[in-house]
Amino acid sequence: MPIFSYLVIPKAGAIDTLHAELTALPWCEIIPADNKEIVILVTDTPDAATEKKLQERLKELDSLQSMSMTFGHNDEDQPGKQRGDYEA
Amino acid sequence: MMKTNQENNEVIMKLDRRAFIKSAAASSAIATAAAIFPGISFAEWKKQEGASGMITWKKAPCRFCGTGCGVLIGVSGDRAVAVKGDPNCSVNKGLCCVKGYHSVQALYGKDRLTKAKVRRNGEMVEVPIKEALDIIAAKMKDTMAKHGKDSVAMYGSGQWTIPDGYVASKLFKGCLGTNNLEANARLCMSSAVTGFMTSFGIDEPMGCYEDIDYANVFVTWGNNMAEMHPVLFSRMLANRKRRNNVEIIDFATRTTRTSQAADRSILFRPQTDLAVANAICYEIIHNNWVNWDFLNTHVSFHKGKTDIGYGTEDHFAFTDKEEPINFEEYKKFLEDYTPEKVEKISGVSARDIKYMASLYGDPTKKVTSFWCMGMNQHTRGTWIQNLVYNIHLLTGKISTPGNSPFSLTGQPSACGTVREVGTLTHALPHGGVANEHDREMAAKIWDVPVSNIDPKPTYHTVEMFRALDRGDIKFMWIQVTNPMVTMPNLNRYRQGALKDDRFIVVSEVYPTPTTDVADVILPAAMWVEQEGMFGNSERRTQHFAQIVPPPGEAMSDTWQLIEVARRLGFEKQFPWSEEEHIGKIWEEYRRFHEGPKHNMAPYTVLLERPGVMWPFVDGKETRWRFNPKHDPACTNGKDFDFYGKADNKAWIWARPYEPAAESPDAEYNFWLNTGRVIEHFHTGSMTRRVPVLHQAMPSSYVELNPEDAAGLGVINGEMVKIISRRGSVTMPASINGRGVPPRGMVFVPFFDESYLINEVTLDAFCPISKQPDYKKCAVRLEKA
Amino acid sequence: MKKAADKIGKRTLALAALCLLGVGGLDLAMAAPDIPHTFDAGGEKIFRSYNATPQEYMAADSGNRNLMGFYELRQYPGSPPRIPHAVAQSFSEQPDNCLSCHAKGGYNAELDRFVPVTPHPENELCTQCHVPQRQEGLFVETNWQSINPPKLGRSFLAGSPPPIPHSLQLRENCIPCHTGPAAVTEIRVEHSSRGNCRQCHVPVISTDPRLEFVRKQ
Repeated sequence: MPIFSYLVIPKAGAIDTLHAELTALPWCEIIPADNKEIVILVTDTPDAATEKKLQERLKELDSLQSMSMTFGHNDEDQPGKQRGDYEA
Repeated sequence: MMKTNQENNEVIMKLDRRAFIKSAAASSAIATAAAIFPGISFAEWKKQEGASGMITWKKAPCRFCGTGCGVLIGVSGDRAVAVKGDPNCSVNKGLCCVKGYHSVQALYGKDRLTKAKVRRNGEMVEVPIKEALDIIAAKMKDTMAKHGKDSVAMYGSGQWTIPDGYVASKLFKGCLGTNNLEANARLCMSSAVTGFMTSFGIDEPMGCYEDIDYANVFVTWGNNMAEMHPVLFSRMLANRKRRNNVEIIDFATRTTRTSQAADRSILFRPQTDLAVANAICYEIIHNNWVNWDFLNTHVSFHKGKTDIGYGTEDHFAFTDKEEPINFEEYKKFLEDYTPEKVEKISGVSARDIKYMASLYGDPTKKVTSFWCMGMNQHTRGTWIQNLVYNIHLLTGKISTPGNSPFSLTGQPSACGTVREVGTLTHALPHGGVANEHDREMAAKIWDVPVSNIDPKPTYHTVEMFRALDRGDIKFMWIQVTNPMVTMPNLNRYRQGALKDDRFIVVSEVYPTPTTDVADVILPAAMWVEQEGMFGNSERRTQHFAQIVPPPGEAMSDTWQLIEVARRLGFEKQFPWSEEEHIGKIWEEYRRFHEGPKHNMAPYTVLLERPGVMWPFVDGKETRWRFNPKHDPACTNGKDFDFYGKADNKAWIWARPYEPAAESPDAEYNFWLNTGRVIEHFHTGSMTRRVPVLHQAMPSSYVELNPEDAAGLGVINGEMVKIISRRGSVTMPASINGRGVPPRGMVFVPFFDESYLINEVTLDAFCPISKQPDYKKCAVRLEKA
Repeated sequence: MKKAADKIGKRTLALAALCLLGVGGLDLAMAAPDIPHTFDAGGEKIFRSYNATPQEYMAADSGNRNLMGFYELRQYPGSPPRIPHAVAQSFSEQPDNCLSCHAKGGYNAELDRFVPVTPHPENELCTQCHVPQRQEGLFVETNWQSINPPKLGRSFLAGSPPPIPHSLQLRENCIPCHTGPAAVTEIRVEHSSRGNCRQCHVPVISTDPRLEFVRKQ
């Protein structure tokens, strides 16, 4: 179950659209800045397949200029962790 | 499929861990953003600032209604961040309602009062709280010197903690020597008290919530429990589903969510519950469903004055006069109340009356009656309580598991603080001011001369606000309540409070219409920002520690009173340190209740448990009073001992039907009924600041019967003007909304300060309990 | 994987026994005359079906339906779903035919799954809103776009009950969709033992504008 955070920069004038689009996406939470056209995006997906799908959808967003990752975590990468633990 | 506890815990731990990682992910992004874009700000992130992501859980009773659910408050850093039901609390067994689950959000409204304010040249100016307390003490001293001790008054609340009410009583009654001490519980449950006192001689229910798990029949008397006591109501529903021998009868003046869930919804015309209760008794005797063994041993018969008035005029006074009668006289009295006669008065069919009587009369059925504001806010509030007790006494269905006439309360500590501590003009922590022995006990425990305690009660709440309007009272200190929304006939009392030489102090947590009339505002600590105790409807005392710090200079109501008392020269009576004062106050207060009838649990026991029921004797709680199997105060060797009365009996009262203070007529042709909704507590000053509750119920409305709405030509949401002889309010119509009044009645929830419905209501009250009737007055409607 | 399938198979069999139980009918209370049953968003139905549906049925879980499949049948959140199974040409489209399964729920051997229960069985002309899909493909490609459905887990506090994110119109009864073996897995409740759903869950419609409270003095 991967968790990532990004700094997201919208295309010029598209900040509102970006807010709306990111808010509507599953597995996404946003923290918009008050005084800059920047959005923090935290994603939290249940598995790698969903993560991949989500990343594809993010790439398709017209309002999005660029994204840079600031944090990444994946339980499946943890050593000693049994696969399938969280399938319940 | 049920998950085991361990599995659940694992899930919770995983969720906690995920929340923590997510919070770390967001923090790291914010740190990066701050490095790249200096000065960047993320307001939304503030909700988690200072929180570690880890939660510890602390016990407390819920802040809102009188049910007294045990909650566990999740604390992260110095902030309350989550709530869950306390599985160890027998009241709610881990379940809350929507208000309880979001209760901690009520601490964090943006407009929280954090600084004291004083009116200077008409403007409220912030001052250090110490200065405000100096001003209050000086003003009290000055007012008493000029106008006598009865020119200062305190108006508190059933949301006071027990120590709040106790120090208020000690200061006003013991030290200052005035009985000008009242609480908003007068508006909420004083008829319940006078009902208990007249029928049993001792206050508070004989049964407990466990009755719900045994009863076969529930009758809700004017009581929309599905919204107002939802946790108890869903316990009833779960019982009905599980046991297959349970039915719920909703007996009310309006169709509500409780009617939806009930097996039977029976409507009566306002005020005629008196007649129907008598008719049920008539039927029980007529069909010989009387429990003669019980009746002959444990019951005596009485009557009081009739045609007792409504108290709408200033200085109204009434004292009841009890006369004993015998069973035959009582039976003869009931002849006016045959089901057929009562059908004409009440609109309830004789068939339905007989049906209800048959449920109470069936010896194989255990019956629990529930009521709250419908019977309490009633110009014959004391009488209707007597009459419902009559039904239970004739059939002997009382003080045993499942057989329970149960008076619910609306506030978290109406019982604990107002009834048990006695923060009403006539009362003391034990007994009343008129009783010499009670005054001596109080003077001894309080360490004041007995001559300090005035044997004469002064003003009950409505009369107190009238005295403020007249100028007999010049100074009033209001804590934890919002009378400028809740007083009936509000226009008069607001104008009174605003008069030139009146001085109003308000201890509050948020700006309200009451702080709007204040000369001094003290910022108060709220709920778990202080240590304290509440007492719920089933005689349960519930302690909570200080769990989070109060904001700014906010101070607990208890400590505000202590600070002022010391400034007035009563250091000796208020000697406690800030760290220890709650425990010390509790142990001092407990001395008033020593003995098997009312013994309270020690402080150390309260700290450990999610609530302890009194009488607490030899380490055991008492679940059913007057029953020797459960109650150690029973000494007569019989199967019941109603030890509250000198004759060791419960009293049946012959009380007639008398009409309401104001009924619809040709000009004012509708009944106005007021009340609450599940989302909001009282005037909404807390719950409206909880996002989910406000968003679910953003504003008030007037409920109309669909046919009346059609007659008036209004559709849902259109504005309707409600006009009474006292005032008017214009608000949106609700048709087939949360509830449906019968034709000729409208209903308005009172939580919304934008629509002050109490400018329309009438300040008539029960002459015995002095509790106003918010459920009945006459209005007319106009399409606005 | 095979083991898991076995497990599900067994569970389905056990649940099949529940098909006789099903969701209870909607006997309405002996309410006062002249009072429409539709008030309070028709919430009476929650109490009736809660009381009439056996606890075993409410607590059962088949995992047959998930949210993706649920929205797959809808054009926008709240639209009437298509009929996802074949409907014989001879099907009379009389309400009895739909309601014989969809009023009460239970196990359908032919489709090997539990039948979803309608929250509004009193609307008997089912095909007024629900139509089967008779062929694939479109007449012309569409530019249709909708909003995303309400997100899950929209609690206001960690662990607090999530509000009801959807309108209650035609979905006033919580019991059919949120309990029982045919409930959608993601929105199924584990705590069906107490029937006053709206005690904890209040409607905060995710698409409604928020009203702000401003004090006036």
